Order: sequence, then structure tokens, then C-alpha cells
Amino acid sequence: MKRVSLLQLFFAALLGSGALAPPMVLAQVPARFYWKTLSGANAVPLIFNSISGNTNPFDPAHIPMGDANFDGTLAIAGYARTFTMFDRSAMAAVLVPMGRLSGDVNVAGRTASQSAKGFGDPMAEFDLNIIGPPAQKTLADALRYEPGFSVDLLVDLAVPIGEYDSEKTLNIGQNRVYGRLGMPVVWQLGPWVPGRRTTLEFLPAVWLFGDNTDYVGKTLKTDPLFQLDAHLTHDFGEHFWGALDASWYSGGKSTINGVPGKKLNNLGVGFTLGYQVNDNLNLTFGYKSTVNDSAPDDLRMDGFMISLVYGWHPIIEGAKRLEGE
Amino acid sequence: MKSLSAAIVAAVLLALLFDTFAPAHSQQVKRPNIVIILGDDLGFADMSSFGGEIKTPNLDELAKEGVRFTQFYTHASCSPTRSMLLTGVDTHLNGLGNMDEWAAPNQWDVDGYEGHLRRNLTTLPQLLRDAGYHTYMAGKWHMGKAPDLIPAARGFERDFSLLDGAGSYWDMWNFTAISPKSTFTEDGRYLIRLPKDYYATKTYTDKIISDIEADRKDGKPFFVYLSEQAPHDPYHLPRDWRNRHVGEYDKGWDVVRNERLQRQIKMGITAPGTDLAERMWFVPDASLLAPATRAIMGKKMELYAGMVENMDYHVGRLMDYLKTIGEYDNTIFIVFGDNGAEGADLFKMIAGTPGTRDFLFASMVWSETNPNAWGDPHSYVGYGPAWAQVSMTPFSQYKGNLAEGGIRNALIVSGPIDRQAAGSINHQAVLHVADIMPTLLEVAGAKRPQTYQGQEQPPLIGESWVKMLEGKEASPRTDKDYLAWEIFGNCAVRQGDWKLVWQYKPYGTGEWQLFNLAEDLGERHDLAAERPEKVKELVALWDDYVKANHVILPSRVLWEGMEQKLPQRYPVEPGFPPLIYKSQFVPPKDMLANPKP
Repeated sequence: MKRVSLLQLFFAALLGSGALAPPMVLAQVPARFYWKTLSGANAVPLIFNSISGNTNPFDPAHIPMGDANFDGTLAIAGYARTFTMFDRSAMAAVLVPMGRLSGDVNVAGRTASQSAKGFGDPMAEFDLNIIGPPAQKTLADALRYEPGFSVDLLVDLAVPIGEYDSEKTLNIGQNRVYGRLGMPVVWQLGPWVPGRRTTLEFLPAVWLFGDNTDYVGKTLKTDPLFQLDAHLTHDFGEHFWGALDASWYSGGKSTINGVPGKKLNNLGVGFTLGYQVNDNLNLTFGYKSTVNDSAPDDLRMDGFMISLVYGWHPIIEGAKRLEGE
Repeated sequence: MKSLSAAIVAAVLLALLFDTFAPAHSQQVKRPNIVIILGDDLGFADMSSFGGEIKTPNLDELAKEGVRFTQFYTHASCSPTRSMLLTGVDTHLNGLGNMDEWAAPNQWDVDGYEGHLRRNLTTLPQLLRDAGYHTYMAGKWHMGKAPDLIPAARGFERDFSLLDGAGSYWDMWNFTAISPKSTFTEDGRYLIRLPKDYYATKTYTDKIISDIEADRKDGKPFFVYLSEQAPHDPYHLPRDWRNRHVGEYDKGWDVVRNERLQRQIKMGITAPGTDLAERMWFVPDASLLAPATRAIMGKKMELYAGMVENMDYHVGRLMDYLKTIGEYDNTIFIVFGDNGAEGADLFKMIAGTPGTRDFLFASMVWSETNPNAWGDPHSYVGYGPAWAQVSMTPFSQYKGNLAEGGIRNALIVSGPIDRQAAGSINHQAVLHVADIMPTLLEVAGAKRPQTYQGQEQPPLIGESWVKMLEGKEASPRTDKDYLAWEIFGNCAVRQGDWKLVWQYKPYGTGEWQLFNLAEDLGERHDLAAERPEKVKELVALWDDYVKANHVILPSRVLWEGMEQKLPQRYPVEPGFPPLIYKSQFVPPKDMLANPKP
């Protein structure tokens, strides 16, 4: 096999991997996010979302605000790196949300327009594979990798340093610590050949929230929120894939100064299309919307997403430079 | 009491008498069945019983029960070997003086070079059928496609045959735009489609079992020619057979070849002190390759090993079936490969270059190139010269060449024909594939007519193994007998321990080379300059062979341009040049220091 072909294989493995896929969108990571890649790979994701609904898209608690209606432009920039820990694949990432949000909010029976902008709460993410193939420490490992049935342990932690105005109910930052514990599952169905890959993926997770003691002068508490994401993904070509997505939210009852709200029990569905533009750049497009959301207290949210992910690995970049000589 | 004792004694005597004569009686009543298992491009050192790390428990069982031969010769290419197997006649007289695919202009329309088995020759299955055997074939034929050339026309009562030299194991796709589909026959009819769940190795075994089952009640012995397609490339393989050696070959061909040699020495296949043949000069030292490159190359060998293991598994199914119906103990098994392992990149030769018709065809049909797709339909993997040399450990070169790696193969013979110690290894007998015809005719009590279709039959070039297998002689050949080969313009002759070879550059020198195989199995030391009288002697034998067999050296050969395409040939010296083998210098720890400010 010519060296250039070998390199293309590595790139395909690298960019096809989850570490370089767009992270948190609508509080849900997209399909193929937890695919594994070569240790030492780097990625910079840039994700743009246009979102509408009755909940703050920057807040993973997804507290429905009655008949409020928000429009937001959300972007997430970050950096992710894969590495090996205990001979298992691991990934660490930092994600910084930013954007604008505006809409009508019903406060104490009065409707008021509110808006917010700026940087949100940065989130650190750590993922460690616990069931599945060993880490891809070398290019040889990467070439042989097939996920089979793999399960990860996932920990997210957001630091409350984002833009926050205690006079407003609508904010980019959340003024409280929150995080997530999850177990991403990737289940390979059929051959692991670019152009023919099919996966069924699940992410059962629990979001945990600290208290916001200055929520328009009140205390906001939120019970743990269980979230289950599911994706059926399939390659339509070597560089083009799609996914059917679904998310189920349950629990997460919020209490404001002791006054309880409603527990979430909502379902969202959507789709994602992905395309590998070149050796380093991946493009995805998606749409997602909640369903059965006509009741006033139901969570309503829909949004378009476009992501660009730039990925690289020093060995492969070096080999490309030599090939170019 | 007395009469009771007498009765017991009489009964015991009767039982003993019956026990003594019963086997002989049954042998007289029913002649042994015959099963030939022919691996396509199977290497000398691939089976575990010949030193391979590849797991072949069923073939090894035959080796354990029978005898292994280490000086068995085929031809360097498939059709010529097959033609000699089934006719016992030299290739230049039986129609396969050259491969059909490579016939040279000066050989066209010349008797003996038709590219198919000549119509006026009697065949082994035909004579066995006439002698009362059922004759079944499954697998690769590659000796003619016309209605009067197919297996049914050449003596097989039933067949399921791939008429081409190779093709997909999963479907009917073949390799070129002008001949895109493989041709199959079943019982003399050309198939328009393949059976459901077709996978070559499995289906061939299924067909043979069903053929035997269909006729077994009539009590006639059977002759089976199980002409495996495996492990010929492309390495098509069910998924669950692909990952049984993951990473095992990343250590590289030199290491694996040496491991095989050590096992061969330990089990007595090869003599202690045997030197490996030189690694082909254009094959890199695997230790210089990056791990990923070794992994990719190693994966090809993983697939090859899977091909051999899968073939062994299906051979085991046939053996189990014969045991179940009680025929196993009365069956002679003959197992061997048809030539050296394949080191050429056949696909590259066929697929051509961008802009050509065949490249377009390959783009449509043979472009599953991702390593994870290797083994699937539309993928094409062959393992190349480095691993082919491993398959031919300890010999030099591989298929297509007349070095030992092209023509010497592993042979197992087991069953009622064999009176040698079970599991023994025979190094003395110099055997040839053309010997099988006279051997089996003798076993079956069949006669070969002097004339057929009004024409005098060419002489059989082989010698029967029956006396040797009965332990009455060491070899069917004396030191005066000789064997000779010609294919693609390359020539060789062997007499006793001496072998004379002429090969085109760059695989050969374009001169006669002389080797003493007793001392130099790897053909490293050309003694032609030292022993001109021996060269002269063997050249005389070669001339005799040419005359007796109407050998026409081809005017065009596949080696054309090879010398210009391949790197210049220099001897391979391990560790040379030192530049790329020098490890990092590590200074004494107590002399380490930081730079001064």
C-alpha cells in the first residue's frame, strides 16, 4: 500500500472519530461523539446553533418558562485531546459557550422582554473507556480499531464564571456549579468499513445541579435530571454520514424559593448529517425539536446546528509534510 | 465339560481366523477410496505439520496418521501442475506447455501449448471411472472451458467447478473488463448463478459430501478431487475467520520465517544447520518499517492464515463425514499445494493503470480497499513476496519461479496405501506430481491404454509410489533419474542432489546456476563456476528433456522489463548498511551533565 493511502486511512480514522465531532448541542452531544481515535489527536470544534423555545438553551436543566419564547444564537468553541489512561482510550475537553439570547419572559404575571449575551460557563469534560477495545496508542492500533460494544465513563463539570445578571431570569451563565455523570455506549452493527458503518449509540446520564442562591433574588434548586440520548447512525458514503437522534429528559424538577415546578418528561427528536470536507475538516448539520410539547408547561425547544471541527495529529501532519516534499 | 472346552477352543480359533482374514477379504471386495486435496498456492511451510504457526488440526491429523514428504515437486504454476496430476504427461505434451494466460506468439497453435488439457489424452478420473470408481470433483479446474474440456467431459461423473484460474470466493466476479464473470459448471452444465449462501471453500466441501452421499449405497469406491480455491488470492474470508491472528505477524516476515525454520528443524522437517534462503533483495527488512506499516502488511498475512485455517476446517468436515459413514479408514488422502506460494501482485497486473479499461472495471468491482473490508466481496488482498517467502520457508523465491520455493511443496499421504510408520517424515524419496497418476492407477487396478481416440498416448513421466509406500524401496527414483521443468522460459533440471537452473533476470542471472540441494537448500551458493563438468552433465539432461518433450521456449515472457522495474539486485546482508541499524548512543549515567551557564 502506498504511503499516501495509508495516511488517508489514518485521517479517515481520525476525523471519523468522536473526539473531533461537535460537542454539546442543545445540552446533547451528537452522534459519533464518543467514537475513539488515536491517542494524541487534537480537535478544535466550532459549533453554531440557532435555537428557539421556552427554555434557556444555555441551561442544561432545561427549565420550561411557560409560554416564554426565546430566540438564541449559541456558539461553542473548545479544544479536545485524546490520550491513554490505564491502557484505555481517554479524552479531555474544554468547551466554552457564548452567544446571544433574547425573548419574552413572563415574570410575576407580566411579560417582559429580556436579552443576554456574552460567554457562558466553561465546561470541562473527561471521558474514559471502560468496556471495549484498548486504547489506540499507535497508528497500528488505530488501523485495527473496531468499537464492537464499548462503554465509557463520562464526567462533565461546568464552572459558574459565565455572564450572569441576577436581575434577570435569562442569562448566559448559570451562577451555579453543575455537571453530568454518564455512560456513553457505542454499539457497532455490521462491518467497520468507512462507507458501511452503522452504530446504535446511547448516552444515559444524570445532570446534577448546585443551587443558584441569587436567581432574581431567590434561590433556585434543581433535582437531578436524567437524560437518555439515542442515535442510529449510518454511513451514506466514505465521507458522508447521517443519524436519527432522540433525547428523553426526565426529572429535573426545579424549585424557586421552595415553590416547586414541574418535573420534565419530554422527548426530542432530530437528525444529523455529517461530511468530511478534507483531511482535517469535518462539517455537520442538524436539526432537533421537542415533540408532544403543546401543553403550557411542556418543554419546547428546536434548533438548527452547523459545526466545523478542525482536527490534527502531529504524526500525521508530519507525514503529510514529508509526502509533500 | 470336555465338549464345552472343545467348543470354546473352536470358537476362539474361528474368531481368530475370521479376524485374520476379514480385512484382507474386505480389501479385495472394496478398493480404497481416494481423496486428493489440492491447496491453491498453499506454501510448503504453512501447515502446522510442516512448521507453520497456522492452525491446521485436520490436515495435521492426516499427517499424524500418514507420512509427510519433503522432496515433492509440482510445477511452478497451477495449470501445468494440475495437467500433470490428471494425465501423468509432461506439460509440453499435455497442452499446458505454457499457462493459457501467458502463451507466447511462437507457441500459438502448437500441439502441447493449447492452454488447455489436450483432448486426445486419457485422464486419471476417466480411467478410474472406467475401473469402477465414482469420480467427483469440486473446486478450481483451470484446464479448459469448452464443453469438451470441462470436468464432466474429462472423466468426472459429478462436479462443481470454477473453470477459471481464480475469482471471487463470494460471487461470480472475475478480474478483467473483457472477462468480468467467472465460469462455473455443475455436473456438466454451465451455471447461470451460484447457489444460495455460496462461499467457495464451504460450497466445494458441501458438494463433495452430497456427491458421496448420493451414491454411497451402491458400494463402489470413489475418487474425489477437492481442488480448493484457497488460499489463492483474493483473500476472501468470512468475518469470523479474519481475526484469529490479530497482531501476530506485526513482528515481520524475517522473524516469522526464522520461527518456522526453527520449528521445522525441531520437528524434523528440515535438517539442523539449514540456512534460510536469502530474503528477496527488493523486500525490505521488516524491522525498518513503522509499526503501522508492519500492521498493514501483517494483516495481509493474518488473512492468509485465516484462509488456510478455514480450508482446514472444511477439510475436517469432509473427514468427519467419511468417519460417520465408515469410509474414512478405507480412504487414501493425498494433500499438497499446486505450486509455490504466490508472491506476485496479481491484482496490480490485472487492474492496470488509471485511464485503462481494466482500471475502470477494477474501480467498479474491486475497490473495497479499506483494511477493515479486506475479506469482503469486492476486496482484493494478496500478501506479496515477503510473506510468500515465509510460506516457502526455507526455500528461495516462490510461485512462477524455478527456485525450490516455486516448485517444491509439502505432501501428505495417508490411508490404506501407506505402510510407513504413522507420522513419519520421508526425506529420501524424490517425488513428482506426475507420479500420482501411475500410483493411483496401480492402487485401483486400472490400466492406461496405449492409444486413445486413435492416437498413441504420450508416455507417463511419473513413477508409482506403491512400492515406496509399502516400504519396499526408498524412492521411486534412482540417482540416475532426473526431473525437469520449463515455464515462462525458465528452465531447471534435478538429478540426485544436484539442481541446474536457468532463470530470466532479475530473479535469475540469465546463466545456468548450479546448486547442491543436500548442502544448500536455500540455493544461496551457485557452484556453476566451480563444477563446470556437473553443469555440462546436467545441461545434457536438459537437452534430452527438451527433445523428448517438444519444449519450445517462449518468444515473449512475463519477465519482460522486470529488471528495469525492480531495484538493482545486490546481495542481502543482514545489518547492512550500518547507517540505518545503528542504535542511539547512550552515554554513561555518571557522565551526564547540564550545560554550563
